[in-house]
Amino acid sequence: MAQVKGKKAGFGAVLWDYLTTVDHKKIAILYLIAGGFFFALGGIEAMLIRAQLAIPNNDFLSAGLFNEVITMHGTTMIFLAAMPLLFAFMNAVVPLQIGARDVAFPFLNSLGVWLFIFGGIFLNLSWFLGGAPDAGWTSYASLSIASPGHGIDFYAVGLQIAGAGTLISGINFATTIITMRAPGMTYMRMPLFTWTTLVAAILIVFAFPPLTIGVFLMIFDRMFGSNFFIVEAGGNTIIWEHLFWIFGHPEVYILILPAFGMFSEIFSVFSRKRLFGYSAMVFATVLIGFFGFMVWAHHMFTVGLGPTANAIFALATMAIAVPTGIKIFNWIATIWGGSIEFTTPMLYALAFIPSFVMGGVTGIMQAAAPADYQYHDSYFIVAHFHYVIVGGVVFALLAGLHFYWPIMTGTMLSEKLGKLEMVIFFIGFHCTFLIQHWLGLWGMPRRVFTYLDGQGYNAANMISSIGAALMAVAVIILLINIIKTLVKNEKVGRDPWGDGRTLEWSLPIPAPYYNFAQTPLIRGIDVLALEKEEGDGTIPSAGPVEPIHMPNNSFIPFMISLGLFIAGFGALYFASGKPWAIDAVADLPVRPWALYVLIAGLAITFISMGVRSWKDDLGYYITKEELEADLRELEARERGAN
Amino acid sequence: MAHHEPEQLTETQLKYLRTERTKEMRIQMISFGLMIFLTFIAFALVALELDKNFIVPIVIGLAFIQVALQFYYFMHMKDKGHDFAKLLILTGLYFAIAFVVCFIMIVWIGNPI
Amino acid sequence: MAEMRYNVPNDQWPVHPEKATLEGRNKFVGFWTFLAGETVLFASLFATYLALKDQVPSQDHLVAAELYHLELAFVMTMFLLTSSLTSVFAVYHMRNNNFGKMQLWLGITVLLGAGFLALEIYEFVEYVSIGHTFRSSAFGSAFYFLIGTHGFHVIVGLIWITLLIIRNANRGLSVYTAAKVNTASLYWHFIDVVWVFIFTIVYLLGVL
Repeated sequence: MAQVKGKKAGFGAVLWDYLTTVDHKKIAILYLIAGGFFFALGGIEAMLIRAQLAIPNNDFLSAGLFNEVITMHGTTMIFLAAMPLLFAFMNAVVPLQIGARDVAFPFLNSLGVWLFIFGGIFLNLSWFLGGAPDAGWTSYASLSIASPGHGIDFYAVGLQIAGAGTLISGINFATTIITMRAPGMTYMRMPLFTWTTLVAAILIVFAFPPLTIGVFLMIFDRMFGSNFFIVEAGGNTIIWEHLFWIFGHPEVYILILPAFGMFSEIFSVFSRKRLFGYSAMVFATVLIGFFGFMVWAHHMFTVGLGPTANAIFALATMAIAVPTGIKIFNWIATIWGGSIEFTTPMLYALAFIPSFVMGGVTGIMQAAAPADYQYHDSYFIVAHFHYVIVGGVVFALLAGLHFYWPIMTGTMLSEKLGKLEMVIFFIGFHCTFLIQHWLGLWGMPRRVFTYLDGQGYNAANMISSIGAALMAVAVIILLINIIKTLVKNEKVGRDPWGDGRTLEWSLPIPAPYYNFAQTPLIRGIDVLALEKEEGDGTIPSAGPVEPIHMPNNSFIPFMISLGLFIAGFGALYFASGKPWAIDAVADLPVRPWALYVLIAGLAITFISMGVRSWKDDLGYYITKEELEADLRELEARERGAN
Repeated sequence: MAHHEPEQLTETQLKYLRTERTKEMRIQMISFGLMIFLTFIAFALVALELDKNFIVPIVIGLAFIQVALQFYYFMHMKDKGHDFAKLLILTGLYFAIAFVVCFIMIVWIGNPI
Repeated sequence: MAEMRYNVPNDQWPVHPEKATLEGRNKFVGFWTFLAGETVLFASLFATYLALKDQVPSQDHLVAAELYHLELAFVMTMFLLTSSLTSVFAVYHMRNNNFGKMQLWLGITVLLGAGFLALEIYEFVEYVSIGHTFRSSAFGSAFYFLIGTHGFHVIVGLIWITLLIIRNANRGLSVYTAAKVNTASLYWHFIDVVWVFIFTIVYLLGVL
């Protein structure tokens, strides 16, 4: 139970520890590793796309394979890379920022990460089991119902499993931030990253159920013979588009809001100033979250919803620019007059402002419904969403990785390599996507696997592909940096950036597994900066050293996720060759075992849940003596380091 | 922290709590009666086959009243400490109505607004 | 701090036993958050149903007005509404530290819920026998998915509450089990909330 200290644990013990852990700091590592892996996978797919499009009439990838690669690139990057990596930082930082011992539901936290990992593996197994999904990451029903083979089934089942994990994590973080704040940590004293996490978590709670339903409709149509999208039987494929975008638009805010939060922290730390306009920032965050739900049909202007509907959604979309603008100006005002330190995270943050604004401006262009008829399905769209997602979210992930690396691993990434990586990534990013705006306006449609010579697309596509290669170089530099740092393993002490302003930087590094030996007392916003100015930089305690209640590790989350993973295969092959199946799978060989696999998988899941409910899981206590011994040891270590 | 310091309640406090709870149960019974009554009216209105334009808004209105009773009384949303529950459920209901209205209005191409 | 204490005397039983511990409070807030998500989940289902209502491939398929029986829907509503009240009783006795009566009312809730479920199964069997199935039309798919998801929630609720009754039978009441019972009861009420919309929007407005 109490973790192994000092001693080197065997590989088996470490593995078992991570398989059963409910500690948010270890779960953050799991998210980081798995998310990083899928990020690399999605990156390789991106390289394949750009290699194929670098020259006209290329036959590097076949048309069918190209469709699979673009679909998997989008799906992997959004669901399996960006969101899990954000969850990694949320897990690592948010409980420390609010002065909590752990998240509200440590068990569910573990369940969330395992569902995501199994969902991601399931989705990617499609490459080896008859072909990946090929209907685009939006998987519009008219395309996906017709797509032959099991590719789309992997998409639907994989997303269902991973999506369940995300929903669980969303509920978990919302609850954590509502109930687990330390004494004195009022809502209006919460760091911005905590605020954006709260709003993003609530967005997840409202956005993922529609996706669940949409994906269920897809699963039932493709695997169980229902007729939601089968037009001959009265179905309607537009339902999928609505459900998908009801989820899909909030999803981009789920991604970008935590990114905004991280940048807010970085700006204020490396400008050595309080965040300008804190309450306006909070207000803008909430407003963006709310508006995010009212705009989904702007992805569907060309569907034919009618002028009234288009006008309403166009107007709502443009309104979002207002709170986003408030944020941009507040960040600029935060830097203004600050004593700026150009670290790697700060460089990313500075690069983020113009990059993201460019993506935002093209967003407003598309919000004008009549003009959108021109941009729709062209490379202009591709350029726009990469500007906001790479220029916003990926910049934030890379900045956050450098910024929070000490908290997560106890070491510091090399600043020299980091800055090199940042410069190359920045150049590569603009090189890749800026030119794509023009490509779109010149008429190049998105999702085409090649183009003819002599249309004027050649040079621009080559430039774009070179940029993509530069980004790959930057990521490789980052990998080298990470490996070098881990091998060197030079430990750093408290507050390694020297200017930490919020509670997470007040903790010793690595933080003890119970986080806070004594519950901290929060006296104001940016509490560490406050205590540094008014005192000796130590956070006062809200009470004496008391026994701490800790949750038990559990293997059940792994089993629940494994059950769903197994059941997924049963569902997937259920319709193969059945007389009632859709044309796409009707000719495949019959799999008589499918039903039994489905039942067995669900049985594993539900029995595991039953066991969880049946057993008393009361956790255990860390005694006062243990805590005091730890505190003494820490004091000795820090005195020795000085 | 899993442990809670059991506060010793005095005899009077206990008695007071019990009467308060009995009072609350009386209110619960009344709201149950109301729910049954509202259900009955809704079914009766439809069974009587009155004008459709008249029935539809009333029946939907009755459903919302009944759901409010269920949330506020049966699920204790009227009690203290339910601020977040209220905020989340009301936001959820708002989104719910928006989705349903959109699906009725703009899903079928051919009669766009 | 102490071991989890079961069956404490009345004067030591907290005023809000379900929220007496941090875990209990977390469960309470987390479950309401979950219910907010469920609201949107069912909204998506209702929206899909309304978009696909009466969308059948040909004239010889039955549509809503020809299918639904108001009598059956009324009886089912009574079952579920009453079971909602009985679970209020269970929570009332839980707060009063009366373990036996709490178990009794939970048992009655399960029985009423099972009655509801039996009627729903009867309804489904009858529809299937006259050709209205999950695979017969888009309307059929949407109908069974909406009502079936609600029915699935009822099944989960029944298993959950039954499991709680059995597991608590030889443990008794503590702040730990009180939080479990309270959460299950919230879930059960929510099932009733959804049913109110189902009988209104699907059945009542369906036969108009």
